[in-house]
Amino acid sequence: MKIRRKDDGGGKVDVQMAPMIDIVFQLLIFFMLTLKILAPEGDFNINMPLGAVGDPNPDITPPTNLDVVLTANDDGTLRQVSLGGRPLGNNFPSCFQTLNQEIEIAVRDSRKFSEDLEVTLTPDYNLHHRYTVAAISACRGKVGPDGRTITFVEKIKFSNIQRPE
Amino acid sequence: MKIKASKPTIVEADMTPMIDMTFQLIAFFMMVSNLEQTQADERVKLPADRLARPPEGPREDEVVLNVGFIRNKQGEKADPEAYVFFGGEDNIPVLKCGPRLKREYDVATRREGEKAAQDMTVVIRADADVPTGLVQELIKMGQEQKFSKFSLKAKSGENED
Repeated sequence: MKIRRKDDGGGKVDVQMAPMIDIVFQLLIFFMLTLKILAPEGDFNINMPLGAVGDPNPDITPPTNLDVVLTANDDGTLRQVSLGGRPLGNNFPSCFQTLNQEIEIAVRDSRKFSEDLEVTLTPDYNLHHRYTVAAISACRGKVGPDGRTITFVEKIKFSNIQRPE
Repeated sequence: MKIKASKPTIVEADMTPMIDMTFQLIAFFMMVSNLEQTQADERVKLPADRLARPPEGPREDEVVLNVGFIRNKQGEKADPEAYVFFGGEDNIPVLKCGPRLKREYDVATRREGEKAAQDMTVVIRADADVPTGLVQELIKMGQEQKFSKFSLKAKSGENED
């Protein structure tokens, strides 16, 4: 029997690209649509004393404790920032830069590790949260010239709640 | 003059560069898309701060509380009262969310044990305009339910002016 030699075009196999491209485009569209651009977030650890509401007794404040008091206007904006009873102004955000510098000096002067220092924040009840976060950040540290965070004080706590009378 | 009959020509486009580019785009979108289930609520406008950097590693267990205001489309407060958003329409006024925190603590205790539940961090994502006293009230309610670690969220970026 004579076998005919079938001309198969030199063994070239045509791969069907269309289904693969369909799927690839569907995947691409899926990832494009599900992409959600979120700003990165960071957090500040904070403590608050347990116990009854009341004014903190200044007599039992340890010497390494720094008291930051934030008072508010009726509309919740900042009225005054003070460190250890010394007013630092209310010009937001420059007053927090001043606070940051004062804390840095206090940390340097105390000649102790920053772990030994503690900042107590006493914000007014109606003060907007943005000012509290700015105060926590000013006490926590600063961004160094190389972009790294230089920590001044690790322990930051709220005082007892200053409920309006 | 003899005219040669020409065969119908099939133009085969070279698909390789297009497929290369498409795979690169897919790889890019896969890497930048965040498929993690984030517990962030878009109604909360976090304060911005330069020192707020994302943690190096994810926390194992945390309770996220989104505190903010119900706003209209223009971004103005539709209701002066601050709420804790628990997803969807489940909004509870801040001062009334003690029972909800108790439920969160009970669920965590059943699932992880009492020690792990106490060590869970309560992450408070509070709107920049929320009164600080309400954030403190929330921390106090958390302490009453035996949570012990608290942190305040801020978005990374230049400080607000």
